[in-house]
Amino acid sequence: MKKRIYNKGEECHMSDLIKGQKALVTGLHGDNLALRRRLLDMGVTTGVEVFIKKIAPMGDPVDIEIRGYELCIRKSDMRNIDVKVI
Amino acid sequence: MRIALVGNQNSGKSTLFNTMTGDNQKIGNWPGVTIDRKEGTVKGTNHTIVDLPGIYSLSPYTSEEEISRNFVFEERPDLIINIVDATSIERSLYLTTQLLELDCKVILALNMSDLLEKKSLVIDEEKLSSLLHTSVVKISALKGSGIDELIKLIDEGRILDNPHKKIYQEDLEEAIEDIAKGLEMVHSRFVSVKLLENDVKFASLQSKDIEAKRHQLEQKYNSDIEEIIANQRYEYVVEVKKQCVVKKEYKETITDKLDKVFLNKWAALPIFVVIMFAIYFLAVGVVGSATVDFVDGLVGKFSDFMSEWLASVNASPWAVSLVVDGIIAGVGAVLNFVPQLIILFICICLLETTGYMSRIAFFLDRLFKKFGLSGKSLIPFIVGSGCAVPGIMSTRTIEDEDEKRMTIMLAPFIPCSAKLPIIALFAGFFFDRYNGLVSASLYFLAVVTILISALIMKKFFFKGDSSAFISELPEYKLPNLKYLLRDVWDKTFSFIKRAGTIILLCSVIIWFTLSFSWKFQYGVDVEDSILASIGKCLSWIFYPMLGELSWGATVSAIQGLVAKEQVVSSMAVIAGLADDVTEGALIFSQTGIFGFFNPASAYAFMVFNLFSAPCFGAIGAMRRELGTTKKTLIAVAFQTGVAWILGCIVFGIGSLIMLL
Ligand SMILES: Nc1nc2c(ncn2[C@@H]2O[C@H](COP(=O)(O)OP(=O)(O)O)[C@@H](O)[C@H]2O)c(=O)[nH]1
Repeated sequence: MKKRIYNKGEECHMSDLIKGQKALVTGLHGDNLALRRRLLDMGVTTGVEVFIKKIAPMGDPVDIEIRGYELCIRKSDMRNIDVKVI
Repeated sequence: MRIALVGNQNSGKSTLFNTMTGDNQKIGNWPGVTIDRKEGTVKGTNHTIVDLPGIYSLSPYTSEEEISRNFVFEERPDLIINIVDATSIERSLYLTTQLLELDCKVILALNMSDLLEKKSLVIDEEKLSSLLHTSVVKISALKGSGIDELIKLIDEGRILDNPHKKIYQEDLEEAIEDIAKGLEMVHSRFVSVKLLENDVKFASLQSKDIEAKRHQLEQKYNSDIEEIIANQRYEYVVEVKKQCVVKKEYKETITDKLDKVFLNKWAALPIFVVIMFAIYFLAVGVVGSATVDFVDGLVGKFSDFMSEWLASVNASPWAVSLVVDGIIAGVGAVLNFVPQLIILFICICLLETTGYMSRIAFFLDRLFKKFGLSGKSLIPFIVGSGCAVPGIMSTRTIEDEDEKRMTIMLAPFIPCSAKLPIIALFAGFFFDRYNGLVSASLYFLAVVTILISALIMKKFFFKGDSSAFISELPEYKLPNLKYLLRDVWDKTFSFIKRAGTIILLCSVIIWFTLSFSWKFQYGVDVEDSILASIGKCLSWIFYPMLGELSWGATVSAIQGLVAKEQVVSSMAVIAGLADDVTEGALIFSQTGIFGFFNPASAYAFMVFNLFSAPCFGAIGAMRRELGTTKKTLIAVAFQTGVAWILGCIVFGIGSLIMLL
């Protein structure tokens, strides 16, 4: 299955982004409270800009640039983050 | 004055702690947990400084955060030094906003200032200080700049008060102040925020009124309270950053360039394999074993010298025997491996401090996830090749509870440095030319066993499928020689200390139980000694993997519980007393007590000792991390069971091959 690429202005999950894309976080969901809080503490809050910087050789996890540093995160966790491509 | 050192992981906390304390430090444990508690005296003063675990927040979701919080609440430090990575200020100041809510003075130490220019960043620290209303010092823990100024500031008490600056929007700020007014306690502002967040730690202080306030805010912002507060903290931080930090231009960093290679789709794995092989080659392979032979020669000379000297001063035969056959044989058998360990510790320290270890966790996560583990499991495995205790402790960074438990149970399978003597002894003697290949095969077997065990555990015991992996990818850093030397020295010293204490004591006990019979007669035939009779009762356990009832091998293997290297010491002492030999290579002389060993049983016995229950130190660490004695016993039984079965299989296959 070919991966759908989301264009500027479209909304999707962070896991749908491809390397080199930039997006704004629009919300966090999911019912793992500890995970959610950890993401918030690491700076993944509404309105923040993220940039998909590196992807691990086997395709997962992903390294994103956020708030001036680099954060590694699994695709399955990125599914809990809503973003808007910019 | 008591000072707490607080900061993110990789902010340079350990480096700063070492720089500030020099040699005046002691390492203990936090009550109830195994994380190292480092305490020291600040150079040239009598202020105590405590190094808290690296954290990103003071929320109660990780044990590190909880420890830090408890420390601040229960031990009430007079001052907090908040160490901040100046090159990553936005994330770092988030923790600062939380610290500034405490009723405690805070100094901001802007670390890594030596890197600012390279990253074309300019930070106006006076502006930052006036915005946060707290003292700010630019330092470089690595280069040592700004440290004297920091110490002087503390010593002279010229620290700005912490007036609890308002950082939230008005409605939230009002709610917090309102709650704080009703609280008659220290840290009331901090606690108020936590009460709004509905933090379980403060559940006893909750009230209907607070709940109503929370509800109102959540309605208004159409979001939940934790997110509202986190958002506003970051909004404040971004505002502060805008006013104090200027970034001149964007350049591709060295880290980006290096990652193009080290995290390259095709090159990453081969590079990793090459690096691991190089470490293995240096520590365990050719280079390592050359150093062992050298030290072995020295110990042998010393042993000859002592026995001659003791004889010349007319010491009684039992005293000569105690020193030569007991102490020197036992302790010497272990000390042989010190150079090898130093090489191994240097390699592990380099992997950790350069930032490569985080990359390994990152790119192998996908693979490990398939086995129910996390990429971060690899860190305990690699650290565990030095010593299982810090390896088990480093599982704390794994978010997912199942992945963490499995890693704790599996990490002791990795041959740790104390097991090296066992490998070196058996592989060196029985596999002569193939020595290197055989020891490599044991590491390989360990990895395979770990993966297969993980699959089995995942299938039957840990069925949860939620998991998380969130970690910072730190920049590559040049290793710091001083830090490296100190780290390697600390670890090596603790190994030598063990040889001088536990191993020494055990060697004396073994010598004693071997030299005396139950009637306490000295000089009996070893076959009639106390130890032999104990070993004979249990030797059936090892029959299926040795093909022989050997009390000597049995008691030696059991002593692995005290310390794995003790297996070798014990064999050396037993062989020495039984056959009048002291040199390692003669342990297996054809006519001797261990003469029955052949390549098949040697390999099997190694496998058993490598994979069975780890030493008491590691079992203790497992107990603390797993939380209950029951789980620990299950883990130990599991490990020993796997070891026994593998040992028997290996012996069976080995014996077949030898027949052909
Ligand atoms: N360039 C530079 N590197 C530093 C400085 N302080 C620490 N480091 C490096 O940053 C890395 C992490 O430091 P460490 O003290 O282990 O951080 P911790 O995890 O907070 O204890 C190490 O490679 C250090 O050598 C500094 O002031 N300048």
